[in-house]
Order: sequence, then C-alpha cells, then structure tokens
Amino acid sequence: MIRFFIPLLLLTLFLTSCGRREQEAFVDKHPLPEDVEIAQCPPGKYGGRYLSSTIGDPKTFNPVMAEESSSTEVLGYVFGGLTRYNSKTQSPEPGLAKSWEVSPDNKTWTFHLRRGLQWSDGTPLTADDVVFTFNDIIYNPKIVNRNRDFLSVDGKYFKVEKVDALTVRITTPEIYAPFLIFIGTEILPRHKLQKAVAEGTFESAWGINTDPRDIVGNGPYVIKSFIPGQRTVLSRNPYYWRADSKRQRLPYIDEVVLNVVPDQNALLLRFLAGESYDLGVRPEDVATLRKDETKGKFSLYDRGPSTASNFMWFNMNPGKSPKTGKPYVDPVKLEWFKNQKFRQAIAHSINKEGIINSIMLGLASPLWGPETESDKWFNPQVRQYPYDLEKSRQLLREAGFKWDSAGKLTDAKGHPVTWTFNTNQGNNQREQVANILVEDFKKLGMEVTLRMVDFNALVNKITDTYDYDAIMLGLGGGAPDPAAGMSVFMSSGRMHQWYPRQPKPATPWEARIDELMQKQLKTLNESERRKYFDEVQMIMSEQVPYIYLVTPQSFVAVSHKIKNLDIPKQGSVLWNFDELYLQ
Amino acid sequence: MKTYILRRLLQMVPLLLGITFLSFLLMSLAPGDYLDTLRLNPQISAERIEEMKRQFGLDQPWYWRYFLWLKNAVCLNFGYSFQYKIPVWDLISARLFNTFIVALAAMVFAWTIAIPLGVIAAIKRGSFFDRLSGFFAFAAISIPEFFLALLALWFALVSGWFPVGGLYSVDYDFLSPLGKVADLAHHLVLPTLVLGIGGIASLMRLMRGNFLEVMRAEYVTTARAKGLDERRIYFKHVLRNAINPLVTLFGYSLAGLLSGAFLVENVMGLPGLGRLTVEAFFAKDVYLVMASVVMASVLLILGNLFADLMLAFVDPRIRYEK
Repeated sequence: MIRFFIPLLLLTLFLTSCGRREQEAFVDKHPLPEDVEIAQCPPGKYGGRYLSSTIGDPKTFNPVMAEESSSTEVLGYVFGGLTRYNSKTQSPEPGLAKSWEVSPDNKTWTFHLRRGLQWSDGTPLTADDVVFTFNDIIYNPKIVNRNRDFLSVDGKYFKVEKVDALTVRITTPEIYAPFLIFIGTEILPRHKLQKAVAEGTFESAWGINTDPRDIVGNGPYVIKSFIPGQRTVLSRNPYYWRADSKRQRLPYIDEVVLNVVPDQNALLLRFLAGESYDLGVRPEDVATLRKDETKGKFSLYDRGPSTASNFMWFNMNPGKSPKTGKPYVDPVKLEWFKNQKFRQAIAHSINKEGIINSIMLGLASPLWGPETESDKWFNPQVRQYPYDLEKSRQLLREAGFKWDSAGKLTDAKGHPVTWTFNTNQGNNQREQVANILVEDFKKLGMEVTLRMVDFNALVNKITDTYDYDAIMLGLGGGAPDPAAGMSVFMSSGRMHQWYPRQPKPATPWEARIDELMQKQLKTLNESERRKYFDEVQMIMSEQVPYIYLVTPQSFVAVSHKIKNLDIPKQGSVLWNFDELYLQ
Repeated sequence: MKTYILRRLLQMVPLLLGITFLSFLLMSLAPGDYLDTLRLNPQISAERIEEMKRQFGLDQPWYWRYFLWLKNAVCLNFGYSFQYKIPVWDLISARLFNTFIVALAAMVFAWTIAIPLGVIAAIKRGSFFDRLSGFFAFAAISIPEFFLALLALWFALVSGWFPVGGLYSVDYDFLSPLGKVADLAHHLVLPTLVLGIGGIASLMRLMRGNFLEVMRAEYVTTARAKGLDERRIYFKHVLRNAINPLVTLFGYSLAGLLSGAFLVENVMGLPGLGRLTVEAFFAKDVYLVMASVVMASVLLILGNLFADLMLAFVDPRIRYEK
C-alpha cells in the first residue's frame, strides 16, 4: 500500500506544481475616463492575487436581490453607485457621480456623472442606466426588493429623471437626511438587464448559475469564475474609474480569490497557512494570534468596540391577542414592566464587568446605549447603570416593591415578582450571559425562569404573537445612519420591540422620541441631526426600554503582504480594496 | 425477477409520498419561516415582508403548498430556492459531482482496506495483529469525524504537503485535463482519509465477526476434515459466505454517496450537498430541502433494491421468484 501511495503522492505534487500559470503584468489598454477620480493613496505596484475567505456562498450575483452578507460581500467588489461610502470618515463621497447640487428647498438633487465612464464590457455608462436602475428595477411594483424601503420617505418614492446623457435629477417628496448614503445603491447596466425586466424574469436574473461573463459591473473587479461551495474569483475591471496620483488605473491587485470556509477553526488554520490574508478574529483566538504575531508574518489590530450589540427588554405591549382574546402580558406584570424604576433597578443589577471578564475573556466593553463608541453618532453623555444591587433594591422600594420574610420580592399589592426570560438557543455565549443575568435577578428576590427558545420561535414571539415577559437578543453590525433605526425608535415602528406598532405613542417620552426622530430625518444639517439623535439616546438611557449589555471588542489580523491598509473603526477592513497592493 | 423489480419500483410510489408528506409537514409545523431573519432587520418594512410572503406563497396553508409542490414534482419540477431565487435542481446538480467523488473515494478506500484487514484479523484471531487492529478500530469509531477533519487540516498546515481544505485549486479552470485530475486527487487525499477511517473501522470489525462465525460452520469443519487446504477454505468457502451481510450494507452506503457529510464538508470546506442541505434547512429554504430529501430517499430505496439483487447474485440460496 505504502509503496503504491508515495509515488502517487509525489506525482500529484509534481503535477500540481507544474500546473501553475504565470501571470503577465498588467498593461492598461484603455484610456482613463476624462473625469477619472484620483485616489489620495501612496502609489503602489501592480500584480498579485489576494486570497480571502468568506463563511458562505454568494446566493445571487444580482445586487438588488441580495439579502445577506455572503452575497453583498462579493458584489461590493463588482458594483458601485452614484456615491461611495467612506468607512473611515463614515460619510458619503463622490462615486459614479463626480459632483451634485441640491436645490434651496433641499429636496431636488442634481447629479453629474463622470465623463467617460464605461461598464466592464466597454459600453458607456450614462444617465439611462441610473434612471433604469431606479425606475425600472427598484421602484418596479413587480420586483419585490428591499432597496425601495430606504429609497423612499413615508412610503413615497423618489422621482428620478434624466436631464441629459450625464445628468440625473432626483426629487425626494420630503427632505431626507440620509439621502446621500442610500442613493449610493448599486447602479445596474440597462443594456444587459433590460430584457429580463421586460420579460418579468429579473428576480431570477443573475443567479449563481449565470455565466460570470454576463455579469457586467462598474466596480474595481468583475467576476472571473465561480465554483459553488468553493470559491469566487474576481479579476480587475479594465474600465474602472479611479487612478492613483501617477495616473495609474486602480486596482493594483490582479485577482481576488474568495474561498468559502464555513468553519471558524478551519478559517484560522487557513490564515495561519498563508492561504488567506485577512481574518476576523474571535476573542478566544486573540491570545494564540498575539503569540504568532511575533513571527512577523501578520499584524493583529484591535479595532475597539464592535458594532454588534446585545440587549434585553421587557414586553410592555398592553394589547390583547386577537386569537385568544387574552392579554399578551399578564396585567400585573405589565404594571411592573411599565415602571421606569423597575427597569432601572434591573439595569443596575447587571454585572457587565463580570460578564466581560468571565465570558468574553475581557475582550468586550459595556454598552449603555444604541450606538457603540466606534460609531460617529455615539453620545458619550448617556446615563450609565453601574452594577449596584443596593441601588437596585432602593429603586424597587421607591417603586413600591417589598420583600416578604423569606426574602421574596412582591409588588405593592403582594403579588410575588416572577417572570420568564427568553433567549435563543444555540449561541453558547449568549446562553452563558443569560445564566449570569438570572443569578443576579434572583439576588433581588425575583423568581426568574430562563427559557432557551429556538431562534425562529423567538422571532415569532417578537414579531407576531407577543406572548413573552422579557427577551434577550443580539444583533450584528449597526446601520450607517440613525435613519436606519426609524422602525426601532418610532412608536409606530415594526421593530419598536417592547411595544411595536403603537396606534399612538403610549407614553410622553415615546412621543418625544417620535418627534425627534422625525426631525432628524427631515433636515440636512448634520449638527442639528446630531442634537436630535443625542437627545433620543439620552431618553433611551433614562427610560431604559432596552437594557443594553455588552459589545465584543473587534479584532482583525492582516498579512504583512498587504500595503496601503487603512483600517476603519467599523465596517469592512478592506473597504478601500482598490487602493491596496501586494508586496 | 422482472416482476419482482417492477413490484419493488411500484412500492416506491407510496413510500416517497409518505416521506415527502412527513418532511413537508414537519418543516411546516416547526415555528418560523424563511423570512424570519429578514423580520429582525430594522431596515425592511412590514409591507415588504408581506409582499415577499405572498410571492413565496408562505401565506398559503401548508397542505395547499404541499399539493402544489407535489403536482410540480411529478413533472420533475422541484421549484425555486428562496435564498438563491433559481431552480433548486441547478443548485443540487452543481454540487452532485463533488459529493459523489468524495464519497466514492472514501468508500473505495474503506472497502479495499477494511475487507482484507477484517479477513486477516479473523484468520489470525487473538494474535498481536488482531488485537492491534481491534484497538485502532475502536479508537477510530470513537473519534468524531469533524475532529479528525480538524486534525487533518492541522496536519496539512504543519506538513505543507496538502492544501488546507477545499476541493479545487484556484487555477483549476486553467489546468490541462491531466493537471485537473492531479489537482483533484491531491485535494481528495485528506477528505478520503477522514471520511474513510470510520468506515474502515466498522467494516473491518463486521467482516472479522462474520468471517469467524462462518469459520465455525459445520461445512468448514467438513472441508477441513476432507483435507482441503486452508487457503481454499478461507477464500473460496468462508469469504463468499461471510461477505453476504456486507453486500446489504453496500446497498445502504450507495445512498450515502449523494447525501453528503455535513460536518466534514463544513470543516474541510468541501462544496458538497450536505452543507447545502443543512444550510437550507436552517434558513427554512423549504423546496431546496425537499429536493434533497427526495433525492436521498430515492437513492436509499434504489440502493436497497440493488443490494437485494446483488445478494441474489452472490448467494444462490436467495431467489425472488416463486
């Protein structure tokens, strides 16, 4: 067996090594567009192949239909929009449009496309493509897509018109604060997709079974090949519209390889083997990587608090179930949950430092409001609730709660305080956090039952049946703008979880938040918006409808081969990929 | 024989109906649907969710959806995937070959090693070799496959002899046909070992047990008594009889060829069907799961039939005709 095996092995090693194809150096065959954007980065050198890993397959190559990050990650290399979001400054910058103006009423925007823009197949990119993308796709009633949710105000769509071949006028029905961020949605080629739209097959167009050559983009890369479950290979778009200060066309790196590696341990091994140049690092791997960092092949970066957040809330929904006619929440409990002092007492009973040190290996920060420190909208003034059980007891006493002789907490009418705490099963860390929380609630004399619920069942409780006392949940990366939180903060919102879809604001403070959220949405003045949103964060921290818990520290490791790296506090590490080069 | 095969094939119809009905029912009874992750996204409006619900037919009762699915499935149209928005068959067929080649390699590897080892262990019963192979078999059975997979990746990292996961090189598309075969073979070595080792262990123990049992049979004693040499006894008489139960097992393992091994695929980054199906299950991508279930069931039924026919072929005592 061995005698047979070793020659076979050598043969395969030999054959695979001689199969390597030499890359020829990049020669720019096309003139730069007249309105080329000159990047500020130091000039780099051409060539090479960037190896990266992703946890899942792209589900579609159609940016309008993409619903999750495995797809948007790939498509981010292939498509761009009128504006481009700068992760470093957290603000929009010129993209396909070189400039724009807004009318005095702040509702009509005129965008000027760069002259000489071309799609990756050489076809000119004009105002027709922009108008097509908005009017024929995003606002097409037959094409169900989520883009039109943030490309509308109060459910009313924008008016998109062509002025001339390179000018587009977009009118919003109301002033819309995050307009410039969201208008950067991907622009699609009319000459390629017009037929699919006309035939009503757009939703399945550009699925993963499409020949990659048919997918024509305007970003730095195009899709070169795709093997399901294995990898996507991207190669440079020869018509890309950015160049460096020496007028060399970007991007520098010839090819990007995105390998699908669904397992976190395998991801780490791949990175250490040099088969992946960047790695989002789990807290438990930080120590190992710190040790390996000294070998000088990569650096470990601490990006500070991530945008992910964990929080819990009490159900304050006074409604009745239309099916059974019974109230969603026991009226006795509802009285406690609606009591600000009760919620504050709970907030004071949460040992965030303990959770961070015992479960998160010290690599997390306490969270006191909806925004984390790394976000530009973060308000550092929000009220904090340090761990203090004595304070909790005092607040409970002020709210009329009492302790009986056995140390059990009861409300003013003598009802024992018992409630059920739900979270989803399958997330080990979250289950541990929930256990610690429940221990502390018990120290206050409450009887709290912890229940691990299947994720889908939990979503059902939150969005449909509302039959729960309290829930803890974790949500990933935050949105780039307060406007994305409209459905969370507005009392009529679908995601206003403690009491969603209120017919009218249930409390004065919720009414005030509604007012502030509307105001921040309808002004373009950023400092004014900040003032409004700061107040929203203050009210949230006073009233604590959400009790925020902790946010993990975000770590990333990147190979030393990569130059021009400019790591932002949040978002993708590779946000400026077109400027990166390999040594 | 023909009527027997025909009868078995006809039995497939109610069986498949039952399997698909139960799978569909269970998936529908479980709380939640494909839209749940979207429901937790604050940037998606309630109207959009309602629209999608209508579009995917999730507002219809489950029995009606099952009926429609069945109607189309009879015409071999298994529907669209919610996640990918393309026909499920396109998704499955793209991964069929990968799953097949990995499972086939592991199966050939396991069977070619396990049977001789089992026979030797039985013949040399109680010897050092027997005890050693027994020890390794139990160790191999008790180590979980995903752990072996991680060990294999670690080995690949440390030795540098093998790729750390995956089934094709980046340059695969640009290799010569011979280069493609070599590249695939190079990537297949570790998955084959990982998936094969558990199989070797159990098959070997089974083979050994059967072999020993047959060796105690009276006709073996008779053969010995009439002075037949041991080689002939072992390989002509004992082996042929001892292998019967393994033929049945072979039929079952055919089904395994195309159902994939989720954990190992996940760790080793193999683009197989197991991963596709499990991910679809978690995402509640109903029609993709259903297509996988149908395929695995058909294979299991056919594998069983095949095993029964093989048995009739190798064992003259078995006859299906009246």
